[in-house]
Amino acid sequence: MDMDGDLEALMARYQAGDFTAARSLIERLSPRLHSFLAAQAANRVDADDMLQDAWLRIHRVRHTYRPGGPLLPWVYAIARRVRVDHYRIAVRTAMREQRFEEASNAVADTAGDGRPAEGLAELLAPLPPSQREVLELLKVAGMSLEEVAQATSSSVGSVKQKVHRAYEKLRRTMGLMESDKRHSGVAP
Amino acid sequence: MKDVSIDEALERATRTSHAVPKELLDRITGSIASTLSPVRPLPAPWALAGGLILLSMAIALLGALRAGFQGFEALSASYRVAIFGTLGGLLLIVARQVLAAWTPASRRSLSPAAVPVLVSLALLVVFAALFHDWHVQRFVPAGLACLLTGLLHAIPAGLLSWWLLRRGYAVNLISAGLMTGTFGGLAGVSMLELHCPNFEAPHLIVWHTLVVAVSGAIGMIAGLMLRNRSAG
Repeated sequence: MDMDGDLEALMARYQAGDFTAARSLIERLSPRLHSFLAAQAANRVDADDMLQDAWLRIHRVRHTYRPGGPLLPWVYAIARRVRVDHYRIAVRTAMREQRFEEASNAVADTAGDGRPAEGLAELLAPLPPSQREVLELLKVAGMSLEEVAQATSSSVGSVKQKVHRAYEKLRRTMGLMESDKRHSGVAP
Repeated sequence: MKDVSIDEALERATRTSHAVPKELLDRITGSIASTLSPVRPLPAPWALAGGLILLSMAIALLGALRAGFQGFEALSASYRVAIFGTLGGLLLIVARQVLAAWTPASRRSLSPAAVPVLVSLALLVVFAALFHDWHVQRFVPAGLACLLTGLLHAIPAGLLSWWLLRRGYAVNLISAGLMTGTFGGLAGVSMLELHCPNFEAPHLIVWHTLVVAVSGAIGMIAGLMLRNRSAG
């Protein structure tokens, strides 16, 4: 059985109330989900909160997964909603307090363990959110174009177009970075 | 810079990814353990779509039973087939879109924003092709009465559809509201086609078609309000 098929079998057992299957799913999917959520989180603590929220929501609506269907798009569709909700709450809180700048500075400075989200988030930072999201799903979650389309409620054509545009932009940005390095004499 | 280099950079960045602390995983597992029980998956899509269509037909028929079937009686057989065949086809298409909006990671053949536009266009084309009386009498009062009657059936149909799909989960409440409202609007138009004997083309094109758009907008606003409430 391939890995994804294995996940789907675990999900079916989770729906049947099997605790071992639930724990196994949480252990296997959480690192990928955490990466996906952390890419737009202000800090590690936020990403941890979102991960916990995502699992609680997955648990609450686990009956909406149709046995036999691909699991990853279903999981990521819910995680995506969690990410949007957290972003909206953060914006609303900031607006309520009328301290946009202070809030974002404070968030950046007080990352739970002092470690801001890094790596992929930095690399994808120049991209618009929709393009960043499809690359995260393709590269971090390892989903196919068809699965990304399902998770984002869009068509395969639209996903392909976003990937194409994202690569174009990354090509430009990374090309500029390399040329800067060369000009400043830093070894690539 | 080639795509391969970008792929490599993305792969490197992905590898620096996030080990999730064991305490966090334990906390998550612990929090779901207390409510872990077997669940019954959602019914098959065809069963839910069938339920939605039956519900909308029941509302349209009940409305016409109360108000009268003057419109249906005045139509010729071919007109009945054309109008109710179109409405049936649209109900089926929109029911599938409603289901997709209420089930995470469903395949979508149409963008949610395109659905009410396509439904309105289809109705507009059918009305314009079948009815050629371009005179208007009491355009606004008669139209407002039909719009109100249509909405009085569209809103219950939308609410009952929402209730039927209460076990679903909308990842986007605004588009779920838009789809459900559009579906309810079709129930409202079906009731009007059974009841309304006014066959002036402008009346049908403007006021009957408007029921779908207004009902869709009401659903969208309801979805927006629910989303804002759920986001604290």
